[in-house]
Amino acid sequence: MSDDFSEIERELKKLQPSAASVEFLSRLEQTMLRTHQLPSAGVVKRRAGLRLKWLSLGLGCAAAAALFCLARLEVQTANPTIAPIALVSAIPRLESPAPLVADSRFVPAGLTQVVYHTRDEGLVFPANSPQPMRRLRRQGRETLQWRNPSTGASIRVSYDAEQVELLPVSGQ
Amino acid sequence: MENVATHHDWKVCFSELAPGLVLFARQWVHSVADAEDVVQEAFVRFWRRNHSIHNRALLYAAVRSAAFDLIRRDQRRARREAEAFENTERTTEPEFFHEDDSQRELAEALRRIPSEQREVLVMKIWNDLSFSEIGQALEISQNTAASRYRYGLAALKRTLQPQ
Repeated sequence: MSDDFSEIERELKKLQPSAASVEFLSRLEQTMLRTHQLPSAGVVKRRAGLRLKWLSLGLGCAAAAALFCLARLEVQTANPTIAPIALVSAIPRLESPAPLVADSRFVPAGLTQVVYHTRDEGLVFPANSPQPMRRLRRQGRETLQWRNPSTGASIRVSYDAEQVELLPVSGQ
Repeated sequence: MENVATHHDWKVCFSELAPGLVLFARQWVHSVADAEDVVQEAFVRFWRRNHSIHNRALLYAAVRSAAFDLIRRDQRRARREAEAFENTERTTEPEFFHEDDSQRELAEALRRIPSEQREVLVMKIWNDLSFSEIGQALEISQNTAASRYRYGLAALKRTLQPQ
């Protein structure tokens, strides 16, 4: 900036805006925490993306319908022309239920623990402890995941979790 | 555990930017409470959309947009705020700590300059945005932002010069 304005700039910079109140900061933190716990938190779908998804879904359906029609036509036209060369009675094949059971088996694949907020609740004096303890409360979200090794399908379950920890206070 | 650090980063970022953001929002709303609501809404919206923590131009644009949303939300308030916006030189009061009379005078002078110039001054002086960032936030060119800044300083200087 030009030197003509340097003095006024300096004077302006000396003016200090009011600091944000503690209540305001904690209110925002609580809002962020609440928002984070919503299923859609952090993932806001954009309209353009949605439109593209609907478009691709529509195109996919149209392609599937076209393939289905073609396949039906082919079957209808092919059937009368095929003359049976030999009648082979296939050996009855017994499908064991075991693979089905194996296919539907899910094995634990992972546990994710995300702590969003840790609060120090200060000292407590438990009845069964000779010394004071510091109580820490952790709030977060846990996600358990199972995976089917044969199909690759996975199941995920998320839930809010709260953990309270008592830490002995030393040096008293 | 990466999310914990990220959450902490956001908190630190907010506590650092909050005074400047509230000051910025107060150009469109009268009360500090309304300005805090605007900043909170904008910040949460910005955070939820996974924008980069360093994209300050977008953050200030979000605050501006949230302020206009607040104005639109209530028709009665909209009328009041629209009137206030028209007469903004007279009524908008950025919140400052005044140490002496000269600072009080300077804050008074700041209220009297045109709102478009004051907006740029607030973003530049108290929020440390570059002209490029200001241009992005206000959807104007970088040169226009710099010109408004210069005009604002010139207007302040004229106001403060002894007659």
